[in-house]
Amino acid sequence: MKITIPHMGNVYIAVKILFDGLGIDYVIPPLNNKEALSLGSKYSPEEICLPLKLMIGNYIAGIKSGADTILLVGSCGPCRFGEYSELQLKILEYLEYNVDFIVIDAVKSIGMRELFNRIQIVGSESKKRFPGKINSVIRAYNAMCILDEIESQAHFKAGYEKNKGECKRLLNSCKSEVLSCNQPDKALKILKEYQKRIKNIAVDYSKNPIKVAIIGEIYTVIEPFTNLFIEDVLMDMSVSTKRNLTPSWWLKDMLLKIIKLNSMKLLKASNEFLPLYIGGHARECVGEAVLASREGFDGAIQIFPMGCMPEIVSKAILPTISREKKLPMLSLIVDEMTGEAGYMTRIEAFIDLLERRREHVFAGN
Amino acid sequence: MYSLGIDVGSVSTNLVLLDNNNNVVEKLYVRTKGRPMEAVQLVFAEIQKKYDDRQIYSVGTTGSGRMIASIQTGADIVKNEITAHAVAAIQTERDVKTVLEIGGQDSKIIIIRDGVVTDFAMNTVCAAGTGSFLDRQAERLGIPIEEFGDHALKATVPVRIAGRCAVFAESDMIHKQQLGYNTCDIIAGLCDALVRNYLSNVAKGKDILPKVIFQGGVAANSGIHRAFEKALNMPVLIPEHYDVMGAVGAAILAREKVSREKTKTHFKGFSISASSFKSKSFVCSDCSNQCEVVSVLENQQPVGYFGDRCGKYNRFSASATGIAMH
Repeated sequence: MKITIPHMGNVYIAVKILFDGLGIDYVIPPLNNKEALSLGSKYSPEEICLPLKLMIGNYIAGIKSGADTILLVGSCGPCRFGEYSELQLKILEYLEYNVDFIVIDAVKSIGMRELFNRIQIVGSESKKRFPGKINSVIRAYNAMCILDEIESQAHFKAGYEKNKGECKRLLNSCKSEVLSCNQPDKALKILKEYQKRIKNIAVDYSKNPIKVAIIGEIYTVIEPFTNLFIEDVLMDMSVSTKRNLTPSWWLKDMLLKIIKLNSMKLLKASNEFLPLYIGGHARECVGEAVLASREGFDGAIQIFPMGCMPEIVSKAILPTISREKKLPMLSLIVDEMTGEAGYMTRIEAFIDLLERRREHVFAGN
Repeated sequence: MYSLGIDVGSVSTNLVLLDNNNNVVEKLYVRTKGRPMEAVQLVFAEIQKKYDDRQIYSVGTTGSGRMIASIQTGADIVKNEITAHAVAAIQTERDVKTVLEIGGQDSKIIIIRDGVVTDFAMNTVCAAGTGSFLDRQAERLGIPIEEFGDHALKATVPVRIAGRCAVFAESDMIHKQQLGYNTCDIIAGLCDALVRNYLSNVAKGKDILPKVIFQGGVAANSGIHRAFEKALNMPVLIPEHYDVMGAVGAAILAREKVSREKTKTHFKGFSISASSFKSKSFVCSDCSNQCEVVSVLENQQPVGYFGDRCGKYNRFSASATGIAMH
């Protein structure tokens, strides 16, 4: 069995550490790029949301490098993500690729026993004994958490750094170094080292950079290719950004959902504007917008793929939050047709708006 | 000392010179024709006849070709069109609350309160009603674009045109022509349809309050102007330099920046009009990002790069998308 996975941000790094530890054969497809997008768009239904198309591109690249099994997380969720695995299975069948799908779904939907069965299929490939397996899983989970932490530190400190561009360089070299390492223990060590380095980066807290919260649909905020590397762009503009949705957040959220203790703070914050669960991460998006205003952010940027059902609802709610909480917001909708020029113009203009607005407030008007 | 503003748009390239009090002393307007670098050289060759390099205090570029123009000229500031237009509008009318801007290929609305931009929107799905669409229709009807608006004013009964999409608007117009409607009525109907389209797409959900300013190349079209006034039921002002407002904004911002930072301008001089500029693009395959990198060559020497995400080629800064932050 040779496993491949679809991309979502830095998840592939944790997966690599996991499979290296378990000794399971795997293929990581090339990072999302134009080729994955054009392949995916060619074979997917036109109206489906962007993540599905990119995933198809990833699978095809993985299969071409010898993968015969696709490992995917699912949610049986009340947004289209819930039908991804079925639809993708059909598409790959139609393309006459002979692959197996292993969908790690939510406990609520498939039950504990079925979940363990599915994990067992992957687990039985590993020659490690049980404690060794558990060890590998914990290590991969730790790696994911550390990586998310490094990333969020880099994004936030980009506004405060003394040497411009240092955060970005550090983040990039961290990713490439950890990826080129095939020993899981060493990889984790590299990550911990970078965690220290990013912590000790030279910052000047007297700076008062523009602070922006990145909110919206989870895949498009995490996967930089889909949002045209918005976080990198903002780092270059010395803007501090914060993004609550990360792969490790998602994992924690999924686990805590079983005992209904997930993301309490966010959901509480969303109560005023969206007290109901409407699928996807719409409530989280609304909650994050409210929290951003409480935490003194200058603005929020919402990103979601064209046709995303839950985010369309939150998009309709955001102007009200914007008015009541006096927090400027920008909604960006991305798909394979997104024109880079207009997109960047909007981001730049939004940051200008925030800067000028702040100067105006300081001037006492 | 003058501040130079250059707006390299999809349809036209404009240049303005502002004096110390931000009054327009010179303005030039040429068609870009898909060759932004040649257009900049053309306006420079023209302006060089009257001014010399030492009179230039600062340079700003804006418009969709702002990056390439900044590399070419050595601009002090590179600003997006939205900010540039807003700054120019506030400079012209202190108490402006709404800016309608329709250019060659995009249309925007900018909401301003107390002299600060509070919201904006830009067309995302359709280019109906922008300059290039009107150009095409004028050409098809055999009317010079300059007279297009006046024809609309002569209309007695505007015909209703389906303006949701540029292509359908065109077929609807052809259909109405075949039915024998008067050309003036069709043009007036088209103006109404395009304004409807703008208000329901770009300006959707925006609070349009007076004073309203209408700028951008399309503001020259009196038919569209009247349609806006009719639809909004309020006076819509057209500033004197409506056609070069982007360049005016860029020049104002450039002056602000140079005087704030007390630096000297990076301006390379009008002599670049005689240089030979070329751009080359290639796909960098050093990593899986596969960026399409553009390099600008001046007399065969590379003077700037953009498009690389890692910043490897960009000598000005580690820029993600080519937004050079000098």
